[in-house]
Amino acid sequence: MAMQDTTIDPPVMQAQRRLPPEVNILFVLVGIALVFEILGWIFQGQSFLGNIGRLKIMILQVSVIGIIAVGVTQVIISGGIDLSSGSIVGAVAMVSMSFAQSADYARAVYPALTDLPVIVPILAGLCVGAIAGFINGWLIAYTKIPPFIATLGMMVAARGFAKWYTKGQPVSFPTESYVAMGKGMMPVIIFLVVAVVFHITMKYTRYGKFTYAIGANPQAARVSGINVERHLIKLYVVAATLAALAGMVVAARGQTAQAGMGLMYELDAIAMAVIGGTSLAGGRGSIIGTSIGMVIFGVILSGFTFLRLDAYYQEMIKGVIIVAAVVVDTYRQKKRVKKS
Amino acid sequence: MNKILLSTALSAMLATTAQAENIGVSMAVFDDNFLTVLRNGMIDYATAQDGVELQVEDAQNDVGKQLNQIQNFVASGVDAIIVNPVDTDATIAMSLAAADAGIPLVYVNRQPVNIDTLPDNQAFVASDEKESGTLETQAICAQLKSMGKGDGAKALVMMGELSNQAARVRTQDIHDVIATSDCSFIEIVDQQTAMWSRTMGADLMSNWISAGLEFDAVISNNDEMAIGAIQAMKTAGMSMDDIVIGGVDATADALAAMAAGDLDVTVFQNAAGQGQGAVDAALKLARGEAVDNKVFVPFELVTPENLSDYQKKN
Repeated sequence: MAMQDTTIDPPVMQAQRRLPPEVNILFVLVGIALVFEILGWIFQGQSFLGNIGRLKIMILQVSVIGIIAVGVTQVIISGGIDLSSGSIVGAVAMVSMSFAQSADYARAVYPALTDLPVIVPILAGLCVGAIAGFINGWLIAYTKIPPFIATLGMMVAARGFAKWYTKGQPVSFPTESYVAMGKGMMPVIIFLVVAVVFHITMKYTRYGKFTYAIGANPQAARVSGINVERHLIKLYVVAATLAALAGMVVAARGQTAQAGMGLMYELDAIAMAVIGGTSLAGGRGSIIGTSIGMVIFGVILSGFTFLRLDAYYQEMIKGVIIVAAVVVDTYRQKKRVKKS
Repeated sequence: MNKILLSTALSAMLATTAQAENIGVSMAVFDDNFLTVLRNGMIDYATAQDGVELQVEDAQNDVGKQLNQIQNFVASGVDAIIVNPVDTDATIAMSLAAADAGIPLVYVNRQPVNIDTLPDNQAFVASDEKESGTLETQAICAQLKSMGKGDGAKALVMMGELSNQAARVRTQDIHDVIATSDCSFIEIVDQQTAMWSRTMGADLMSNWISAGLEFDAVISNNDEMAIGAIQAMKTAGMSMDDIVIGGVDATADALAAMAAGDLDVTVFQNAAGQGQGAVDAALKLARGEAVDNKVFVPFELVTPENLSDYQKKN
């Protein structure tokens, strides 16, 4: 997957160009938003974008998957893939919520462990995520099986774990402090913090440079002294821990944990990254691009409801938009490469 | 040592006994609240009886997987099969497979497409889906009237997964009730799917609110989406007193929302009762007794007045 051309531009050269690659996808975003704006005036007689409430929900409804996408982007940049995020969301939601139940509820999973300080469920959730990520990373780094297979296994196993944990029963009635994680715009704030931290990490630290290097050419990375195995494990731990964070936020937001939570989130997260210009071949991509990809998803979701588009058409059109966005991006990339 | 451990573990996982009446159960999907209550209702009922063994399998919403499971049950010679169909249109092949082997088959909860041509040793146990949406909408209609909105009210409809029969029928029920002269004052402003899910219900409602839609009632195909709508409306600072919100299922979370004064109407579908009914029908058929082709477990309307009767069920 990771072995294509070795002529991937180092970050320095990208900076010298007048326009960063994210600008392409920003055009797509603006284009889609404008289409909804125009259709809004025609069919609904009101502005699509000139509404604070709608702008909020646009971001809010995708920020949970956005948190996952930040981790998935790093994995894809390293030339890998992570299919297990959605299942980790389900597994972590269940485990974490079971330690976050309020004493008011008579049928708690652990009747003796209610009203715990919020740090307990959070740590429990992050631990479950980190363990799952470590297993993913270790399998990929040391058994050399393809990331697709390793994380596919985790996807199935973690979903099974989520169902087994309470034998399929949902876990509800969390404490107030746990709910706070998902209240109001908190999911967006958490996403922003995560995105900013990893934007800086990917751009300015050794961690980021190693990731791009491994994705562009793992042999060259190894020869130049990078401990590829250790770095891969780090990457998958980060991705799974972010998925775990997303799982807790979604559980807090819904005030319930269910084994089916996060179903297909991994594919939406991958789609966000790819729309945002992350190359599945590795070596190229950015957190900013992924964030824009995420907003595109949000705009589409809100736009459909805004236009009161018949529910039967929505998924068909969403599929078309995902592919079209990437086609436009690829086309513009090619044109730019020719010019330079 | 390892071998002993392994074989003990294996035999624990494959707990079947030779003399018992074996019933193979194929559930559409395990991680669904309602179906879990139903499944546990079956298991509890079977455990309470001597010599009844259930083998419950998860078809994971995959029609092919479900057919395989049924064929495996047939091959292993169970005494009866209970199926909670993934897709109600795919039941003809299942009925055939069981009929060819002479094994009784009971469909539970979801109505098979071949309901009218089921052989004598096959049955369908469920609640009549037409009741649920009808009860819900009639109750909402009555509440709107009692609030003095009888001369014009606006409603939003939240639909479940569109490929699902329950979503289609319940939505149709809503329209049917509103078409009656008694409730024709209700106007449906918009209807959208939120895929049975709470978070998607909250997102859908937030989108509606930001689109500036005004409404007096929310009619949801299930409770989870209704709870999501309630959360979104509270976030937006709307008062729950002026708006009638209804769901279906009477889940524990929904009853808590009703106790808090947020949810106004829900409909109790006796999941455990359906599970019991299915095991009963399967046992009768396995013993050669006659069972009606359709066994209906009634839906029950839940409002704040009779809430306390339901808080311990489901």
